Amino acid sequence: MTVFKTFWKIVKKYKGTIILYTVMLIAFGGINQIANENETDFVNSKPNVIIVNNDEEKGLTKNLIDYIKNNSNIIDIKNTEEARNDAIFFRDANYIIYIPNGYRNDILKGLNPEIEIKSSGDYQSSLAEMILTRYLKTQSIYNKEIKNETELINTINKTLKKKSIVEISSKLNTDEITKISRFFNFASYSIMAVILYIICLVLYSFNKDIVKKRTIISSMNYKKHNKLILFASSLFALLICILYMILSIILFKESMITTRGLIYLLNTFIFTFTALTLALLVSSLVNSKEAISGIVNVVALGSAFLCGAFIPVEFLPEQVLKISRILPAYWYINSNELLKTTEILNLSTLKPILIDYLVMIIFGIIFIIINNLVTKKKRVS
Amino acid sequence: MNNIIEVKNLTKQYKTLTAVDNLSFNVKEGEILGLLGPNGSGKTTTINCILSLLNYQKGTIKIFGKEMKPDSYDIKSKIGVIFQDVAVFEELTVYDNIDYFCGLYIKDKKKRKEYINDAINLVGLNEFKKFYPKQLSGGLLRRLNIACGIAHKPKLIFLDEPTVAVDPQSRNNILDNIKTLRNQGTTIVYTTHYMEEVEILCDEIIILDKGKILAKGTLDELKEYASIEEKITVEINDLKEEIIEEIKEFKNVDKISYERNILLITYKKGKNNLGELIDYLKSKKVKYNKIFSERPTLNDVFLELTGKELRD
Repeated sequence: MTVFKTFWKIVKKYKGTIILYTVMLIAFGGINQIANENETDFVNSKPNVIIVNNDEEKGLTKNLIDYIKNNSNIIDIKNTEEARNDAIFFRDANYIIYIPNGYRNDILKGLNPEIEIKSSGDYQSSLAEMILTRYLKTQSIYNKEIKNETELINTINKTLKKKSIVEISSKLNTDEITKISRFFNFASYSIMAVILYIICLVLYSFNKDIVKKRTIISSMNYKKHNKLILFASSLFALLICILYMILSIILFKESMITTRGLIYLLNTFIFTFTALTLALLVSSLVNSKEAISGIVNVVALGSAFLCGAFIPVEFLPEQVLKISRILPAYWYINSNELLKTTEILNLSTLKPILIDYLVMIIFGIIFIIINNLVTKKKRVS
Repeated sequence: MNNIIEVKNLTKQYKTLTAVDNLSFNVKEGEILGLLGPNGSGKTTTINCILSLLNYQKGTIKIFGKEMKPDSYDIKSKIGVIFQDVAVFEELTVYDNIDYFCGLYIKDKKKRKEYINDAINLVGLNEFKKFYPKQLSGGLLRRLNIACGIAHKPKLIFLDEPTVAVDPQSRNNILDNIKTLRNQGTTIVYTTHYMEEVEILCDEIIILDKGKILAKGTLDELKEYASIEEKITVEINDLKEEIIEEIKEFKNVDKISYERNILLITYKKGKNNLGELIDYLKSKKVKYNKIFSERPTLNDVFLELTGKELRD
């Protein structure tokens, strides 16, 4: 009990560090929430179109012009080719439609007259092209069957008025899930830093040669002493994991009380296990406080930058992501990202996430094996 | 009195270096044994072997009549160790540090609290209970180190050079604490290279060098090893050469030197050397400022045995 109690007394001495990393996580979570609330909704936009009509504005020609007018912004500029070219160049207009002379008559004769266009080549011009193509295709379909102009116009307009209702069947709140993923990605840094830093510092105090010597000489079984330290370290890691889990529930409320939310928590638990084994390994290798500080910065901060805890994975170069595969944080963040994009959660869709879990556990086992080898070598020497 | 420690033919080798060479000695109950020797003489290695902190190639070690092994927890429960380096937690207060080390032996909370307070009183750290090690002076840290090693009231204590780099006031405090522990019946093994401490404290002394026992016995027994028996120092201004020559012819005089108005005479054996010298100086009307006689010190013995100074 003395050993266990002393472990927590020393942890208490480093509470400032725990608070610092936790506050950083809370601050990130808060900023994350606010940042996403400013996202704008989809806004219907119309392309800027210039119509150059060389035909009489009657019947089918008029109908085409009216349709274009209804679905785009008509730009009224000087009737010269130079002015029109300038408008395209300066993106004042996205699309120019040249209606040829005799267009109406050619349609009524069953011909397919050519319409010249000029395009700015941007997104808006594609939109204008879609509008024009839609009209012409509809006209072409009915032109073969209907010879009466009025009837043809009415049929074209009736068809074009029909609208399809598109319903997105997904019930996923993608905004919220993105926020959750970002939170847990950042949490990888906090978890790794807190566990690595605190456990290494506490174990350093217990493992200082002279203190260790005094403990070995005492009537307490040293193996039992080490088991108590291991138990206390594991409990500390678990408490940090639970603290960050509670934080996520406070921040994202009912979104976390779902299967997806529970998988995020399980993922965090497995990552905590890996961080714990790494902390135990580092503590058996390092024998100065300065070295601990350096290693925590290199490992925690390094893996946070390389694996996408701070910068979204989409923005990281392929080579960086390849290198970061050797770090446990990569697999944790990868499974968070997979959870973000997986629509239906079942055994087959969860398979890649389970592989990530397996890799993290293998990392943990490797750290334990190396730790045992190092401890054995130290004992022999 | 019973033997608390029995060491027979202890040999410890590091590859080609023999750190402890066929060492045999006993420590009796309630006794203070001084292990004396220069740095690297094998004092700490001997203690580490006795405490099973080091493996050894040859020999047997018995403590409280039982063979000492790494898992001899019943023996370990009666032992306290105070190392030369301060072995405490920087993150714990004075009280918590003593509580931790005492807690490795004493499970009962109430008893432990009582023991901790006794240890704090003994070393005089009452005012510093809530201080952290960083806030303590070097001397106070040493006292804390001692309190951590003795709080569980061990019957046998090993003190490995506890006064190295300690101010005189703290050193006196530490020596007083050791005397108190001895008076309480504790057996103590005390390693040092300060001969004055050994002369003040120890009942038995072992002089070690290169892992071997050069001499062992009580202080008086060890002084028998010295070829000289008395040193007389006289402070005289402008002593004539002829008088020095005459003193040289005295019976028992071994060596004589006169430098910077100090006349130093060493005698091999004999009694009343001081009286004889005073009478002679009076008869020659030689005036002197100071005159005093000394018995050979442990340092003289060590010089005799090894040909080198004890504090190297």
